[in-house]
Amino acid sequence: MPDAVFVVQLDDLQGFVVQKRHPTTLILSEKKLNLIFYEHQQDIEESLKVSEIEDMQIASYWDERHPGWFVCYVLRPDDDVEMIREDLTSSARFILELMKEAPDRVDLGEILQRGSGLEVLSEEQLFASIFLTPSTALLLEKMQEEGVERAAKLGIWLKDQIQSETIELREAMAPLMDAGIVKVEMIGKTAEVVFLLKDVFSYRAPPVDSLSFALQSFPGIVEDYKQRVGAFFTPPPPSKGYNPTLPVDDPNSPIMEDRRKLSGILVKSLYYKILKALRSRPMTLAELEEKTGLPNEVLGSVLWTFESERIATQFKEQELWALVTNPTIEAFFPEYVLPLVSTKISEKQISQEIASRYLDHLGRTWSEPA
Amino acid sequence: MIRSVYILGEQGNIVYSKDYAKSESAESIVEFLVNLTQFLRTVDLEEKTEFMNLAAQRFFYAVKGHFTFVFVADKADDSSQMEEKMEQLVDIFIKDFSELPDPATQMDGFDAKVDEIAVTMVKVAILGYAGVGKTTTLHLLRGETLPLVHDPTIGVSIKKLPEEISTANIVLWDLAGQSRFSILWAKMVANAQVVIIVTDSTLENVLRSKKLVQLVKDEVPDAKVIGIANKQDLPTALTPERVGQILAIPTYELVAIDISYRDRLIQIIRRAILEGKAEAAAA
Ligand SMILES: Nc1nc2c(ncn2[C@@H]2O[C@H](COP(=O)(O)OP(=O)(O)O)[C@@H](O)[C@H]2O)c(=O)[nH]1
Ligand SMILES: [Mg+2]
Repeated sequence: MPDAVFVVQLDDLQGFVVQKRHPTTLILSEKKLNLIFYEHQQDIEESLKVSEIEDMQIASYWDERHPGWFVCYVLRPDDDVEMIREDLTSSARFILELMKEAPDRVDLGEILQRGSGLEVLSEEQLFASIFLTPSTALLLEKMQEEGVERAAKLGIWLKDQIQSETIELREAMAPLMDAGIVKVEMIGKTAEVVFLLKDVFSYRAPPVDSLSFALQSFPGIVEDYKQRVGAFFTPPPPSKGYNPTLPVDDPNSPIMEDRRKLSGILVKSLYYKILKALRSRPMTLAELEEKTGLPNEVLGSVLWTFESERIATQFKEQELWALVTNPTIEAFFPEYVLPLVSTKISEKQISQEIASRYLDHLGRTWSEPA
Repeated sequence: MIRSVYILGEQGNIVYSKDYAKSESAESIVEFLVNLTQFLRTVDLEEKTEFMNLAAQRFFYAVKGHFTFVFVADKADDSSQMEEKMEQLVDIFIKDFSELPDPATQMDGFDAKVDEIAVTMVKVAILGYAGVGKTTTLHLLRGETLPLVHDPTIGVSIKKLPEEISTANIVLWDLAGQSRFSILWAKMVANAQVVIIVTDSTLENVLRSKKLVQLVKDEVPDAKVIGIANKQDLPTALTPERVGQILAIPTYELVAIDISYRDRLIQIIRRAILEGKAEAAAA
């Protein structure tokens, strides 16, 4: 692995700013930074590129979630990039997320040494990002009503809903396509058609795995733990408890506001990493630090958020953190679209060809081994 | 730099806001501000300016009367400078605007005053094809001697201009003219307040440069755009009037290798910055 790394931001006013460097003696010229930036000009998604820049072999990382930011590794002569590509990519993701979350806490040397990294966005995170863009969430609702629809019609509908001429259907649709919720396809020569392939359900699940782990390994907290989980899901009357299946327009529905909140947490990769660790079992701060590679202060502030959002709880005496609710987003087969499709065929709103394409796609999406 | 200015009323309602540059996420900032105002009502700041960090940003805030004043700035900003600017903002607002029955709708004239306080950095981008004299112009402005050997710029070269030109910090973006770097231009002019399009005053180059004028108008429609008819010492040079006609923007003559043009050029840029501000305010 390389032992020199730096983080650059192209600021619209100040130009290239080296935000972090390790070691601090590393000298970088404006020309080098320019050439690195130039390498990534045509990129539209995450990429790690290796280039020979002046006297340095540099592997530079850029992704679309951090526009203007780069993480660059100075490779050593004996580094085999293909061997370490995954590690570099994952470490760069970690660095950029941490720069966003707690720039003061970014210690590049330590990150390299520990090998801290972040995985590529999970399906669950892609689902979550849908609910953070209002126009995208709106499109999903519309697709739930339509099942299949022409892109042109959706575009007009969306403009009308948002009351804006500038809204781009493509942009609003992108998170749905990325998450595999819809598929967009040309049928025939002129009709671009959108198919709903999956629907998603977002809720707080009881922390089953964590509870059963506690049952085995932390008998000291079990009773208290069960009680805290119970207090959320089945509090004593007159409280109603948590019922995510209540319809959205029901004033008691926990869904709308909560869904946005949970999504906001799931999409943040550092938060997600901590959540994932806690899904399997309760952990001490030291164990979490070991498992996630995150600095103590960052862990502390994320756990504090988890606590105030009723996601995690702390057992002070045992110094353990555990989930009280497990934010979850799951995909399910949208069976309600089948009658919609047959109505649309009989009313000649869609052609036989479109209908059979749709069934084809649904079949392929849901028959793959899980 | 100050990215945004907010003034909030008693209910956490936004009385005034202005953005000077993109900040991390506007939506959560507003949410944060409303919470902040509520919190501030419970403490006594004694009219002092305090700050709070949020990721890479730093919020400077002060309370006076019913109003909360906030700058969204960067962690790197000098806090004593921010305090000074905050005092100016509070004074002007309290003196001239806070007594109005509905300040939010009667703030004519306030904008320009806020600009004077908040604009600490002006971006001037120099655009033009290879070899027309952009880097030479930059050297002239900085009062530097010119290198003897022509060294083509790679990508973009960013330099500060001396203070004599303006009280604000001016950062000059000298964009490489070689065609292989042209894919950078659109991104590099982002947020520029002034764009200078340099030509070498040959017909061929001036005609090609019309494309640059278009690019700039598309990318930064609010920027003030001026043309430079450089290399006026050469016999083939078109007159600045002619260059201006072709480019359809105000255009000025220049001999970038001649130091005696420095003062004139400084005046031109100073005026462009002021006019840019005035046009933005009128829009
Ligand atoms: N005769 C003449 N030459 C100039 C003038 N301005 C610049 N040059 C020359 O033109 C060449 C290219 O200048 P440079 O500033 O590097 O161009 P850039 O590619 O636009 O940055 C250099 O050799 C300069 O000395 C001028 O006003 N008159
Ligand atoms: Mg140059």
